[in-house]
Amino acid sequence: MIVVATNLTYFLAWGFLDPRNNYVGRRPPLSEDQIVQLLQPRNLSDTVSLLERWWSWFSGIIFRWDWGVSPVGQSVNDQVAYRMWVSAELVLGATILATVLGIALGVYTASRQYKLADRIGQATSIITMNINIVVAALGIVLLAIGFNNMVGTTVFFVTGSASSDVTGFFPIIIDALQHLILPTVALVIIGYAGTHFLQRSLLLDNINADYVRTARAKGLTKAQAIRKHALRTSLIPVATQVAFTIPTVFMGAILTESIFGWNGMGRYFLETIAKNDIHGTVAIAAFGAVLTAIGALLADIAVVVLDPRVRVS
Amino acid sequence: MTNPLLSVRDLKVSFPSETGTVDAVRGISFDLKAGRTLGIVGESGSGKSVTSLAIMGLLDENVRISGSITFDGQELLGKSDKQLSAIRGNGLAMIFQDPLSSLTPVFSIGDQLIEALTVHRKLSKRAAWARAVELLETVGLPNPERRMKSFPHEFSGGMRQRVVIAIAMANKPKLIIADEPTTALDVTIQAQILDLIAKAQSETGAAVIMITHDMGVVAKTADDVLVMYAGKAVEKAPVHELFHRTRMPYSIGLLGAIPRVDKAEKQPLVPVKGNPPLLINLPDACPFASRCPIAIDACHAREPDLVDVGNEKMGEHHAACIRSHEITDGGLIDGRRVFPLPDVAERALAGVPREDRPVTLEVRNMTKTFPLMKGAFLKRKLGEVHAIRGISFDIREGETMAIVGESGCGKTTTLLQIMDLVEQVDGDILIGGTSVADVRGGHAERTLRRDIQIVFQDPMGALDPRMTVADIIAEPLRAIGTKKAESETRVDELMDLVGLDPSHSNRFPSAFSGGQRQRIGIARALATNPKVVVLDEPVSALDVSIQAGVINLLDELKAKLGLSYLFVAHDLSVVRHIADRVAVMYLGAFVEQGSVDEIFEDPQHPYTQALLSAIPIPDPDIERTRERIVLTGDLASATDHIGGCSFASRCQLFKVLPPEDQARCLGEVPPLTGPENHRNACHFR
Repeated sequence: MIVVATNLTYFLAWGFLDPRNNYVGRRPPLSEDQIVQLLQPRNLSDTVSLLERWWSWFSGIIFRWDWGVSPVGQSVNDQVAYRMWVSAELVLGATILATVLGIALGVYTASRQYKLADRIGQATSIITMNINIVVAALGIVLLAIGFNNMVGTTVFFVTGSASSDVTGFFPIIIDALQHLILPTVALVIIGYAGTHFLQRSLLLDNINADYVRTARAKGLTKAQAIRKHALRTSLIPVATQVAFTIPTVFMGAILTESIFGWNGMGRYFLETIAKNDIHGTVAIAAFGAVLTAIGALLADIAVVVLDPRVRVS
Repeated sequence: MTNPLLSVRDLKVSFPSETGTVDAVRGISFDLKAGRTLGIVGESGSGKSVTSLAIMGLLDENVRISGSITFDGQELLGKSDKQLSAIRGNGLAMIFQDPLSSLTPVFSIGDQLIEALTVHRKLSKRAAWARAVELLETVGLPNPERRMKSFPHEFSGGMRQRVVIAIAMANKPKLIIADEPTTALDVTIQAQILDLIAKAQSETGAAVIMITHDMGVVAKTADDVLVMYAGKAVEKAPVHELFHRTRMPYSIGLLGAIPRVDKAEKQPLVPVKGNPPLLINLPDACPFASRCPIAIDACHAREPDLVDVGNEKMGEHHAACIRSHEITDGGLIDGRRVFPLPDVAERALAGVPREDRPVTLEVRNMTKTFPLMKGAFLKRKLGEVHAIRGISFDIREGETMAIVGESGCGKTTTLLQIMDLVEQVDGDILIGGTSVADVRGGHAERTLRRDIQIVFQDPMGALDPRMTVADIIAEPLRAIGTKKAESETRVDELMDLVGLDPSHSNRFPSAFSGGQRQRIGIARALATNPKVVVLDEPVSALDVSIQAGVINLLDELKAKLGLSYLFVAHDLSVVRHIADRVAVMYLGAFVEQGSVDEIFEDPQHPYTQALLSAIPIPDPDIERTRERIVLTGDLASATDHIGGCSFASRCQLFKVLPPEDQARCLGEVPPLTGPENHRNACHFR
């Protein structure tokens, strides 16, 4: 499936993007020959037939794991390899935090349905869910700068993913955390509410189930019965959903990356399209396909872990 | 020993709802001594489950409870959830109604059982495991060691209920509350479970509160009975006293509304008219007065108290009726019945012998197999489920044919085959003489469908909530192309026929009660003037007092319109009352077939005998003295290829046969043999 999707994207990308456009309007204008000469070695010239271009691109991947180069000659492999980790650093932490926070809040509010804590939790989540990431990110940046000024030293970095002049193991980690905290907080704030609402409604469906009552009749307190019996069954759909959102958040953190100046996959996606970088676009599509597959696999694993019935049959 | 184990005083429970505060329980008091069984009976909404949940402390937090519940010397009301959880499952255990949903699906049986043990006492892993296995053995699960690792979905309903009972027994409780423990189960399984609860009681010496709507179960199990109506106890007496010297009109009505499996007489059942009141802002009057045939003005003046109407000889007897002293034994007042018998409609075809009546539905050698598939992508055929294995019957005009059997025996599949007009491979279905094999094309099918209509089991689910009653009843008419004006008059006519007010025809189904909805379903089925009406458990979802009214309606319609019914039920008492002919179905085949009195008076096949003996009879004297055949095990799987008698694995007769006869049971499929009005499929009967 991944192979098919990737190849399809290759042809679609050629239909939409034309590397030649990069040279339109250059001063002094480049001659036809010069453009072809620039593009041909990069396998981006439309003077060669599409099928031939496709084969040299495809065989490059199969035989040398070479995903091609951009119109300016950067290696796609290098770009993806670097940006992938930048994105992962940003997105994985945020996803895990948002999920844990969402589930915890879901359980807390569902156990106190229609009470004050539930209402406050719900209202807060509705507000944060509707905050635009730009507003949230800029707000956090302002707060962080205010904090930095107050303390008199740079505690939080508001741009970039790492400082270039830090050496040593622990300093690098501390530096990374200093950069990481703000975008992570921004992503968690806008992302947790979805999980919260899903978990709350699923748990409420299960909280009045007969088997929770049986568990309480055995002698478990209400809180124990909910945690042990109701939560497990209601976690299954939540885990599935979260696993499937992984590709979306990976590629979709474009605004966060732009605001905080992180060179992640989201920004790369925009850049490749803007620069008619066909090989880069296709590589991102392939990366997305792999992530979807991983997400599906994770979802299945989560279901197997949570639901022993699947293991039996 | 004189101190009661459980003492409930003036218990009141109310909870908020959208329409106002619902007073679900309005002052209940009773005592229960160790080792005794209290039966609480009442219809849905009478407050019996709420009472039990209040004792367990399992009600929602927004519920207001007042009064006093003293258990084993401790006041339960006012204890926190944490304090209560030390008592729940330890001294106080509960068995719930629906075994299918009362076990956590994602934990193994063993885990759930061990949890019940370890939550109250410190036990080593091994000791807990050993005790759990022992418990499973006590409740009669085969292979308990292996079953410990099974999950609930691998078990049948009866087996799950055994597990729930094992959990309840785990800590040797002093009080077991059983909330409709057998309502969701088949009669043969019900008999097993009731015996098991009795065994659990004798082993732990516990007191039992048996909550049920089934008077037969009460007659079988209870020492004392409390009848609840509209959140209050209306009668309270020892079981014999209550059944034989009933003093409250509601209890009399409840007993009179039950069809009896042991009585052949065909007098109509006595329904209790009307519906229970909504428990919101009840006026200070007898809540039953509006349904009571002997109500007088004083009944509406104030709500009667529960007063002692007993005498020294018979012990305590309380009833809440101002006229209870006028009521004498057998439900009579001034020598007349409290509930007068309704008139029996004259049967138009009563004089015509069966042979002379035309056949309306005939089924010849019907079979149905489902392929059994396995695998996620590539389906492999593993075998076949033999849902129906060659059944034949005919129904004549004005006759009711009933198919009875446990769930999974193929009753519903039979109905679906007929309703889907499925062409048979080596048999035929004839409706009014037309073979379904000859039906080609939409028009012919629609014509044939006019003659056969169905009424479903669940009156809530079978009616589209977005359609008005008039639309629902007129839908089959529109389907066959009746004009609008014509169908409107027909709708009014039909509503009148089934005892509904035609002026309510523009309402939606949600405005009607369960019994009324079932009447709507019947009206819809009658719209096209069918010859045959197929009834799939039409009364099993209804309360007894309502059920009697629907059964009477069906009887009346049959007499008036000369309808034929194909009636499917698991409740043999209802079948005995309504049917003319019966077929007993086991694993897709008829094991006994014939006229209703023949089969109920003189059952031949061991399965029929067991089925009949499993039904609790609502009379404690008969119920406690009669011999009972309790079947072991569950219904076998229809996937197994059976070379001989399908019932042999559970058969009580098989066990006492000499080995050469047993070989015949296992090796040879018994055919249905005997005269036309009583045939059975057993080699040795």
